[in-house]
Amino acid sequence: MAARYVFRSVWTSLSLSNVQRLAFNSNSSILQNIIRTPLISAFGNIQSRGIRQVVEKTDGKTTTIEGTIVAAPERPLPPNPEGDCPICQWNLNHKYNYTDVLLLSQFIRSDGGMLPRRVTGLCATEHRKVTICVQMAHRAGLLPDHKPPLPEGHTPKRPKPQLNRYLTRWSIDSVKPIWKRGLKWCKVRMSVGHPALRDNVRFGKKPLSLKH
Amino acid sequence: MSSFTKSAQQWATFARSWYLIDARMQPPGKIANMCSVRLQGKHKPIYHALSDCGDHVVIMNTRHIAFSGNKWEQKVYSSHSGYPGGFKQVTAAQLHQKDPKAIIRLAVYGMLPRNLARRTMMQRLHLFPDDVLPEDVLQNLTEQLPQPRAIPRMLREYSQEERDAFPLLWTPPEDFRMK
Repeated sequence: MAARYVFRSVWTSLSLSNVQRLAFNSNSSILQNIIRTPLISAFGNIQSRGIRQVVEKTDGKTTTIEGTIVAAPERPLPPNPEGDCPICQWNLNHKYNYTDVLLLSQFIRSDGGMLPRRVTGLCATEHRKVTICVQMAHRAGLLPDHKPPLPEGHTPKRPKPQLNRYLTRWSIDSVKPIWKRGLKWCKVRMSVGHPALRDNVRFGKKPLSLKH
Repeated sequence: MSSFTKSAQQWATFARSWYLIDARMQPPGKIANMCSVRLQGKHKPIYHALSDCGDHVVIMNTRHIAFSGNKWEQKVYSSHSGYPGGFKQVTAAQLHQKDPKAIIRLAVYGMLPRNLARRTMMQRLHLFPDDVLPEDVLQNLTEQLPQPRAIPRMLREYSQEERDAFPLLWTPPEDFRMK
């Protein structure tokens, strides 16, 4: 949408002389980049964010092109507006997991990293839990479009074998095989999930086992 | 008066049925648990340990199983050839690369009872790494079992309506430039 506005301004600027047109085109491409970055960001479901309307004013010989931020439409209020952080306001404490990618995608950048806490307003514990969930979602392959871009012209030599995994606590390159499990009564266990999510709401009587 | 004859009921009771399990994104332990029950025939009211009343189980997509945690790297499969120095250890990822059916087969074999019928029951287990099944197996199949684990959806698999229906939890500040 914003790109359309830019194009319109480019079209109107075509009536100027050649040199000016070139200058305008380069300008507009920069402008377009600035405007379009939020659109392809992690906020796939926010249309109102960062959209600027290009307002063109002609005052005699000088033409000013200005981008004004379009006001965001009204949103539904959270059920608990007194809460400190967005998770508390929506009563989502202990209710989200690594599978809730619609929630997690609101707190990450386009390359998959977490947004800073001073921007999102999460409290420290919830920020830590969301970070853990985002990591596990990445390792489970649930966020395939949120990855840092490869360098220009780089093609990976040998593709890694794609192994399906879930509830992965440690990064894949950091763990080593457990060659000796130990005796039957003191076995070396493999951690599954994360103890920070131990208090999550569960349906069913089966006790949670974090060590397999 | 019943709608079927006693002889038909007798045939249906003692016939072996063929179950199909799709192992895509499923943990091998849960798959093996379902299999071992069916292979022994423990889901039948006529079950007896000596009566060899187990069913056939076909598992497809064994290449696409999923392990929880870091088990692909941490779990180790050990074997001994019987000769000196014949002790071998491979991780689950290495074993899976060598033979995509081995992990499920070992899991099922470990869950079956340790008696003389174990190898017979293993012969009724049919493993296929992909979803391509031969014609004679396809004709025998009677029932597909539900998957034990619900497969979570990727972000790109949610439709635009579902994304719009999800509330926005926080508002970014006016001057914030999303990266």
